[in-house]
Amino acid sequence: MSVAFVLWRRSLNEVLRVRGALLPATIAPLVFMLGITGQFGRLTGLDGFPTESYLSWIVPLSCMQGAGFAGAAVGANLARDIEQGWFDRLLVAPVPRPLLVIGPILGAVTRSTVPATVVLVFGLALGAELTGGLPGLIALYVACAAFCATAGLWGVFMAVTFRTQQAGPLMQQGVFLAVFLSTAYTPLVLLQGWLEEVAHLNPITYVLQMARQATVVGIEPSLAHTLPGLAALAGLAAALGALAVAGLRRMGR
Amino acid sequence: MRVVGALGRRALSVQFRRAQLLMPTFVLPLMLLAVIASGTSAAQGLEGFPDVESYLAFVVPGTIIQGTILAGLTAGIAMASDIEFGFFDRLLAAPVRRTSLVLGRLAGTLALSLLQTTFFLLVSLLFGASYPGGIDGVLATLVLAAITAVAMGAVSSAIALRTGSLSLLQSLFPFMFVMLFTAPAFFPQDLLVPVLRDVSVYNPLTYVVEGVRGMLGGDSALGDPVAGFAAALGLAVATTALATAALKQRLRRL
Repeated sequence: MSVAFVLWRRSLNEVLRVRGALLPATIAPLVFMLGITGQFGRLTGLDGFPTESYLSWIVPLSCMQGAGFAGAAVGANLARDIEQGWFDRLLVAPVPRPLLVIGPILGAVTRSTVPATVVLVFGLALGAELTGGLPGLIALYVACAAFCATAGLWGVFMAVTFRTQQAGPLMQQGVFLAVFLSTAYTPLVLLQGWLEEVAHLNPITYVLQMARQATVVGIEPSLAHTLPGLAALAGLAAALGALAVAGLRRMGR
Repeated sequence: MRVVGALGRRALSVQFRRAQLLMPTFVLPLMLLAVIASGTSAAQGLEGFPDVESYLAFVVPGTIIQGTILAGLTAGIAMASDIEFGFFDRLLAAPVRRTSLVLGRLAGTLALSLLQTTFFLLVSLLFGASYPGGIDGVLATLVLAAITAVAMGAVSSAIALRTGSLSLLQSLFPFMFVMLFTAPAFFPQDLLVPVLRDVSVYNPLTYVVEGVRGMLGGDSALGDPVAGFAAALGLAVATTALATAALKQRLRRL
């Protein structure tokens, strides 16, 4: 585990020693939060919307988006390390291969608390309410951290498959799509057409429900709103983890 | 003009020869359009929402403007890449007018925007959008979007020329999107939250997006095309002057 710890420290140093490295990852979800709230804020007037504050609806989404982008960056960094030859040196080390990516993923989970917290604080300052109290807050942070880890596994899978930094947009947009093909803008009851079907099947819908226990008055903290999200995250982690490990095993062979 | 044309063609071929660059400029805006059109179509039930034939056609102008921002940003990223990797210095040594280096890049952005807007309109048409403004409305939309893309390309080129930093340009994405979100891109101006509605009055893209909406919808109540063209032309002239000034400043530093 000391290998994972050292690589975790290395990935944190990349942020601590590069001035402003976290800025884009933090600003992007903030801009989207403010922009989407400004555009679609009146949707709460529709029957079936579980809160009167659209900001409260969007804050958890933006927190997860920030965490997801932090996770996807693991793949971009790994692709860079593969292209520049650094990862080849790590591969010859006498350690199990999964440990080589666990450290960077833990680093991303640590880093993801920054955008998630900044977005949450801004959201609360602008009028969102922490209706779920401490249990809701815990659910939000667990959802963000686990989503970051699954996005990291997705990034690793992409990096070991394509082995080029040019796959970066695929990593980011995979996260972007997973989030937006869910109940991102409106609850399930208000979705129409194909998106309603897709959102029902998309595991991120249930992760978002778990995260929204923090700020959405109509989604109170409960096991019924938490367990589907946890199950979805576990399923995603298992599937993407298996793909990432299989890809790692193929490296250099 | 020959140099501008050649550099414009080069900018366009780079875009199409690197498939990953097509993702943000062509695919991502369409995906967002699909999600918004399906995810927020219940908004038509809100009091004050204009009586439109097709909700998809109502939000397409937002996607077109998003496309112009992304096309413009791509121009800046490509310019910064040329500067960082030294190709721009070689161009500077060529016996051509130096402003044509900026204009060539913007010509590529203009052509990219024409292709992009045609693609968005066609795909939306296939998925049920209707354009009561007819062929005239569609052609005018193509022109208005192209002028707007040139304006956006000039902004990002000016930043690229001032800083020469590829990583800065790659981080510019959320900041450029502030312009999209402070315009009534996907929702009527009267239904935006009050603060945003007040801010949107000062955003030139408000008039562009409403102009496109008016032309495609064939209904000037949805937006004034003249105001849209005036805003886009004003923006394009101002930002191209900014980019040219940035180029001259860069040359003085050499």
